Amino acid sequence: MSAISGRAFEQAPKHYRRFAGPWTYLFLLPAVALFVVFIAYPIVWVLGESFFSVGNDRVNRFVGLDTYLSVLADPVFWIVVRNMVLWGLITIPVQMIIGGTIAYFIERHTDTWRGFFRTMFFLPVVTSVSVISLVWVQSYAPYYGIAQEYLKYLGIEMASSPIGDPSTAIFALIVVNIWQWTGFSMLMYVAGIANLPTEVLDAARVDGARGLRLAFSVIIPMLSPVTKSLLLLGVIGTLQTFPIVQLMTTGGPNHASEVFGTYVFRTSFVLGDTGRGATISVIVLLLALILSIVQIVYLGAKLSPSGRKEEGA
Amino acid sequence: MKKVLVLGATLLSASILSSAAFAADKQVTVWSWFIQSTMQKSIDAFEKAHPGVKVTYTYYNYSPEYITALKAAAASDSLPDVIGLQPGSLTQQYRDHLSPVNELAAKEWGADWADKVFPVNRKQMLMGNPPGDANYYIIPQESQVLCIWYNRKTFEKLGIAVPKTYDELKAAAQKLSDEGYLPLFQGAADGWQNENVFLMLANQFAPGLTDKAQAGEAPWTSPELVSAMKAWKGLFDDGIFQKGALGAHAYPTGAQLFAQGKVGMMALGSWWMQESKFPPPLSEFVQNMDGFDFFYLPPVPGSTMASPPVGGVDIGYGLTRNGAENPEAWTFLASLTNGEALQEALNDLNDLPAFAGHEPKGDVSDHVKDLYKRFMEDLPKAENQRFAIPAISEALDNALAAVAAGSSEPEAALATVQAATDKALGK
Repeated sequence: MSAISGRAFEQAPKHYRRFAGPWTYLFLLPAVALFVVFIAYPIVWVLGESFFSVGNDRVNRFVGLDTYLSVLADPVFWIVVRNMVLWGLITIPVQMIIGGTIAYFIERHTDTWRGFFRTMFFLPVVTSVSVISLVWVQSYAPYYGIAQEYLKYLGIEMASSPIGDPSTAIFALIVVNIWQWTGFSMLMYVAGIANLPTEVLDAARVDGARGLRLAFSVIIPMLSPVTKSLLLLGVIGTLQTFPIVQLMTTGGPNHASEVFGTYVFRTSFVLGDTGRGATISVIVLLLALILSIVQIVYLGAKLSPSGRKEEGA
Repeated sequence: MKKVLVLGATLLSASILSSAAFAADKQVTVWSWFIQSTMQKSIDAFEKAHPGVKVTYTYYNYSPEYITALKAAAASDSLPDVIGLQPGSLTQQYRDHLSPVNELAAKEWGADWADKVFPVNRKQMLMGNPPGDANYYIIPQESQVLCIWYNRKTFEKLGIAVPKTYDELKAAAQKLSDEGYLPLFQGAADGWQNENVFLMLANQFAPGLTDKAQAGEAPWTSPELVSAMKAWKGLFDDGIFQKGALGAHAYPTGAQLFAQGKVGMMALGSWWMQESKFPPPLSEFVQNMDGFDFFYLPPVPGSTMASPPVGGVDIGYGLTRNGAENPEAWTFLASLTNGEALQEALNDLNDLPAFAGHEPKGDVSDHVKDLYKRFMEDLPKAENQRFAIPAISEALDNALAAVAAGSSEPEAALATVQAATDKALGK
């Protein structure tokens, strides 16, 4: 099978080379135009803005790297960095573990109810963030909240709202994020498990692998491409976090749950400081670039079919 | 051939007629966060009074949609003719894209038109203008007065009198909590609601001092403002606000609970009356505002007077530079702020007028008329509730949250507001 694919792959360049000519570059034009207009130009514009600042006289002046130094010296920036690190370190593995476990049990131990469970666990992913935030704000509310209604049967009375306490606000939001996105991890693992070659699983069983041994020694290693994809998407999702925080805490109290999204939005749109907002955006962009390169170097090649072939070879 | 000619002539006539029809309708474009159903009534009234002018209204949620849309449109010079504004920071942010309306207003309403605007609104209209710039970039449509609303049916049922002292307020909150009600609902996750209560408190100790502080003419660490900040903390510690207030939102959570009769008191403003004009079903409390009445915050520890009325412009509108080239845009703006379109908004009890001489008409109960009358008596003497520079209000929001959470002392928190003020004013 792979030999046939290989021959087809080798023949393809000859086929296309026959029609190659300078005019064929025109076919690149739509993609290049879209990239320039919607990606390159905004990045360059934001980069340019980051070197300017509007003074009290409303004159836009070139300030070089001053705003960068000012942002890096701002304690709020480091609160945001801490929150983002916590967000990524907690949400990504927890979502993977819970999602993977749910997927394993659904795929291995359900039959007629499989579709139902898949749908139920995936439901939060397709639910509006506005609805989720409303429900969770109500759930977290002490005294009159939904959680309190059940906790009172255990004799527990919540003294404060987890999203209203600076020491717990970010963790309370992380819980909501995990609740919302675990279904996505589950779905990815469901797809991964469904594609596992049954021969390998049967062979492992013949060799005596059962239960946890089968899971840890065979299934989890074979699902590593899914895990790596989830890691990649998790990092991207962490850097893009915005609506749930904006709707539930707007980054408060006193910046305790601020994330890059709310920090940039607040600075640019609420405070109207476009230069500083652009500077923070560029820093986030650089951070995303570094993380992407690291991931591509360590994971990227192994995510592609050819990468897997190399790995297999 | 004949058929082709007839068809061609018909198409040509249709094209000419449709062009003429389009040309007859002069267009005005408006963006705002103002409630759509009420705005539509205003537009209908305007279009009836001005045949041939068509107003297209685009509604946005205030944050993040509206402020994001404005920013993008301003950057691409594609703002509509008329935009909804708040006085101070939002107006100043778009000042370069707005056209001064002094001359148009004088021509429309007479040279003394500004005298007809309530004093606190007039002050806010110029808020944040550079020294020497007496131009008006915003015309206020509606005003508001901040107050503490209470559920009078619940108060009556529990035998609670309107609090005149802090101890009575504390006792009322305690009684409400004991009986399973939320005492004074504070959506302290919302900076605006915290600012409003703090301004009520600060104006008890020194009316107008917060205005001086934001202008750099008095320190935020003044003893009166420190006392106000301590009183703010007291509202949490003394059980006057509900538990977990820092994680709660005034809208929709607080407002819904208040309308359902599950809350005893809430710091809102004159705009609360509009609830009675919302589409049914309405609760027995909201129906004709039967369940509600208001009072001003009684003197807190260290103060000798109740909060004075605090308020100002609820919403105003600006004429963009694009709109200045469209004569109908001003005509609509004038109607919306001081004409037939405004009357529709007032009839919906949306809020108080910004210009003197207006009152709601139509189906309004005696109780609402009484509430309205009391607000209108207080509006001319209201203290300012707005901030000229967003960085200062942002710093105050953070300071209030930090003090409420116990992570900062009042003096230290106000020092951060002072630092933000100094930075914003370039000191």
